[in-house]
Amino acid sequence: METKVLSEHYDKPSFKTLSGYKELSGYEDLAKALKMDPKKIIEDVKAAGLRGRGGAGFPTGVKWGFLPDNGEPRYLLCNADEGEPGTFKDRLMMERAPHQLIEGMIISAFAIGSKKSYIYIRGEYNESIRILEKALKEAYDDGLLGKNILDSGFDHDMDIYVGAGAYICGEETAMISSLEGLKGQPKLKPPFPAIEGYLKKPTIVNNVESLAAVKYIIRDGVDGYRKYGTEKSAGTKLFSVSGNVVKPGNYEIPLGMSMKELIMDIAGGIKPGRKLKAVIPGGSSTPILTAEEALKVDMDYESMAELGTFLGSGAVIVIDDSNCMVDLLGVLMHFYHHESCGQCTPCREGTGWLNKLVHSILKGEAKMKDLELINGVSNHMMGRTICALSDAAAMPALSFLKKFRDEFEYYVKEGRSKIKGVSYAEVNH
Amino acid sequence: MFKLSSEGEAFVKKELTRYETKRSAIIPCLYKVQEENDGWVSPESVEYLAKLMDLPSAWVNEVLKFYTMFNQKPIGKLHVQVCCNISCAMNGGRELANHLNKEFNIKDGEISADGNVTISRAECLGSCGTAPMMQVNDNYYEDLTPATAVDTIKSLIVKGSV
Amino acid sequence: MPKLTINGTEVEVKEGATVIEAFKKMNEDIAHYCWHPGLSIAGVCRLCMIDVEGARGPQIACNTLAKEGMVVTNQSEQIKDIVKWGMDFHLINHPLDCPICDQAGECGLQEQYMKFGQYDPEMDQPKVKKRKVVDLGEKIVLDSERCILCSRCVRFTDEVSKTKELGIFNRGDRSEVGTFADKPLNNKYSLNTVDICPVGALTSKDFRFRQRVWYLKNDDTVCNGCSTGCNVKVYYNEDGLFRVTPEYNEDVNGYWMCDEGRDIYKFANKDQRLLKAKKYDGSSWQEQTAGKAMQELHHNLFDDVKTNCSKVGVVFTGQYTNEEYADAMQTFKSLGVASFFEWNDTAENVNDFDDLLIRGDKNPNTKGLQDEAANHSGLKKLADAIAAVNSGQIDTIFVMAPENIAVYPNYQSTYEALSKAKNFIWFGANKTDGFEKTNSQNTYLIPMKSYIEKSGTFSGAKAIQKFNYVTTIVAGALTLSEAMTLFQGKEIEFELRSKPMKTLKNNHFTSNRGKL
Repeated sequence: METKVLSEHYDKPSFKTLSGYKELSGYEDLAKALKMDPKKIIEDVKAAGLRGRGGAGFPTGVKWGFLPDNGEPRYLLCNADEGEPGTFKDRLMMERAPHQLIEGMIISAFAIGSKKSYIYIRGEYNESIRILEKALKEAYDDGLLGKNILDSGFDHDMDIYVGAGAYICGEETAMISSLEGLKGQPKLKPPFPAIEGYLKKPTIVNNVESLAAVKYIIRDGVDGYRKYGTEKSAGTKLFSVSGNVVKPGNYEIPLGMSMKELIMDIAGGIKPGRKLKAVIPGGSSTPILTAEEALKVDMDYESMAELGTFLGSGAVIVIDDSNCMVDLLGVLMHFYHHESCGQCTPCREGTGWLNKLVHSILKGEAKMKDLELINGVSNHMMGRTICALSDAAAMPALSFLKKFRDEFEYYVKEGRSKIKGVSYAEVNH
Repeated sequence: MFKLSSEGEAFVKKELTRYETKRSAIIPCLYKVQEENDGWVSPESVEYLAKLMDLPSAWVNEVLKFYTMFNQKPIGKLHVQVCCNISCAMNGGRELANHLNKEFNIKDGEISADGNVTISRAECLGSCGTAPMMQVNDNYYEDLTPATAVDTIKSLIVKGSV
Repeated sequence: MPKLTINGTEVEVKEGATVIEAFKKMNEDIAHYCWHPGLSIAGVCRLCMIDVEGARGPQIACNTLAKEGMVVTNQSEQIKDIVKWGMDFHLINHPLDCPICDQAGECGLQEQYMKFGQYDPEMDQPKVKKRKVVDLGEKIVLDSERCILCSRCVRFTDEVSKTKELGIFNRGDRSEVGTFADKPLNNKYSLNTVDICPVGALTSKDFRFRQRVWYLKNDDTVCNGCSTGCNVKVYYNEDGLFRVTPEYNEDVNGYWMCDEGRDIYKFANKDQRLLKAKKYDGSSWQEQTAGKAMQELHHNLFDDVKTNCSKVGVVFTGQYTNEEYADAMQTFKSLGVASFFEWNDTAENVNDFDDLLIRGDKNPNTKGLQDEAANHSGLKKLADAIAAVNSGQIDTIFVMAPENIAVYPNYQSTYEALSKAKNFIWFGANKTDGFEKTNSQNTYLIPMKSYIEKSGTFSGAKAIQKFNYVTTIVAGALTLSEAMTLFQGKEIEFELRSKPMKTLKNNHFTSNRGKL
């Protein structure tokens, strides 16, 4: 069963307007928060155990706590660059509930003492951009943004910055670079953004869903928020389920629900005549699970970590037995090769090499040693670079090869896919 | 000689002070140039924009060449981008793109003879639940079949560019 | 000042130094390309990996602050493996250009592969192809296939020359360094990018295809292109001088030099030089050795000068050493000559400075000249010398001519004006095209040694710098001090003659020298 905390009113078209939003208790939590001590809000967010909903799962309250007390102005950046393949939950929120995001952002900005925030949104999300722009104007006109918000003495300005097509800009320091007008290339850490971020000032980057969730921590309190989820993975989360399920879509569930229930019940299960083969649990960068593993795991950070993978962005990609794993890996390797920013040598050259290796298998030109080479290249792309895109490219390669080795060996030996009906030449131009 | 309209130049002027530094205005200003230059950004327009913004041309060029949404070559009136990343690939995205290549008689990146259509393959557009799908200029068209995709494009051509 | 341990040895570094600087201080080997002490930290090549005791995993040394008590190693099997693969990633798309690449012999990839690589390459996929032989203007050629995208050159034009022409365009392994629309890279410091490029991606047109670096010796000296006096290295062999690169000096020029200074080796080479002394007696020119010419001057002119010292003048340019000025002025003082003149064709720009390295006074030692002259009778202007020669007030003039004639636009006209004197003695390093037109019936041209061929001291704008002899180009030339000694009738010791120039075979490359 879904648990609609954030998504309770997403089916109501009026929810995206200010008046519709206010009717359904919108901005009351902002009023409540503005009367609180900002430090208490940070403590509450910490105690509620909200973890970053964008992919890394880093405790939000702890991240906020890293801000230094040095009198420098702070920036809050909302990461709406949703680019992890399989993920489409932030788009849902921005199209159906822009004010939910805005309210969560103002509360968060108040908590961390930030007077300026940006929503960095990917350029392809034109519908979301139109809706957000309208909502921002409504908020300004209503005095919810700008000077002296709701007579609290708190000033805050919020603006939208539209990206131009680069997955890497979802990485927080790459997003900062892009916002500064540079290429979207990640920055060296240390220094970390909370200390030196946008324009070298303290900056917090949070995912759309994380910021919206803050509203519900204020509304329901720490215990109310913790009503759902597990000890270490508190609250609810939106999961984007796609691939070979009967009912793909975004579903909000309490963390800790079994993946079996999410896929087989809520998302309608596998199409008739087919069997579950594999699941990518948290976006294409997370190590893949076999069907057996998928049917036993729970949707929370710890359970995923135990299986050597990640909850990630919450993009659940369900793969049935009509797919060739070599073919799917080729799709992913093409993606990372296309998206590597090119700064770090191991990633720039390694993503190209991996792409060529997997495609040489698909063309029937590879040798058995190339499988070991894929492992070698991938292993040496892990933990060697400024950001994790290199790891994100390597992990699918390593996990696909490890868990579906038989398909790769077959393809190398026979020069074609083990799965009937999948032909490289037909599909690729 | 490329030149922005007076509205375009006014837009650039505004953007230059909208953000904390001038450099941040490069992306929005390149979008404006693309809008007024038939959907693409020419080297000539980069030089013009750099002068207008008083920024090094290398900075503007770096941004232009880094992001996929800036077109560096002329493009059809309708830029049809078919997502071919994993969930869409599993739901026929690549076959859809192939079908469109055949239907409009163009390879990826080319412009159709009547100047109306360019097909290209995109990475994940964040619409995985409604695969296969495509983005035509600014809009998403989801839950497609080869037939509905073709019909959509054809009706968009009739309507004039979107 | 934190003390840390690197591979078992303790080293102390400045506050704020990074671990890679500690490695460099100790001369300890560490693989790297993108780090350069004169530029900001990029951290992109990912080669300078180290193990820090207590840290979670390997990290890069260039972005790790050196802290008191840190224990650092880079000798573990894991680090060596990381660096090997790091080299592998750098090389998988690198073209096999070594046989025609100017960088061979001083190439970062070659050197670090031998130190840290030495693996069996396994990449048998087609390489990424990029543009080769891209004309970036008068001075530089770009080959983007060879480029390893270390970003040093981009950071240089951003941070040092501040001209911001270079960028890295595109993403991933399609990235290419370059200028917008291939606009020329022609700022006044552009050739530094060629120095700092670890590979043959940016090469100097002047040096292109001219010489393999393993056939070149090199020695340190001081640039004599302007009064800054950047420290430089000159590269040479028996065929002459081939190029100039900057040497680090914290006080004078940091890591850099300007592009004008790159040309200073050209006028020192034999083809630009006055090889033998020449004498004009009113009807014809005759050649003789410099020694013989000075002996003649001693016999014929020395006593005359003493007797008529008020009608004698000496014109100096600021291109000689402090020692030479001292010897010359002392010699003339002892003869009673008091009319010293300064010839500086860039005199009105003397106070120009571009706040980096280039100064308007294009002489290395104007200050030394003026300081020494202050010990005697001071310096008058060149215009006064010319007027005095015209009026006959001065009938014997000695001229210490410049060797860097590119910065003396009035070289020829000054020669002609001063040669109106009855006795005209010209000390110069440069060859004598156009000198046939002398107005004096008693002209002596004495070949001088260039700054490369002598030791001495220049008093530059930033510092007084001593430089040493590098090599002999024209054995028969004299330093000014030697000339003065001979003028006084004393003896000097001559060096052995320089070796005869080799005649090189012509091939496709020699005919392409200096071009694309």
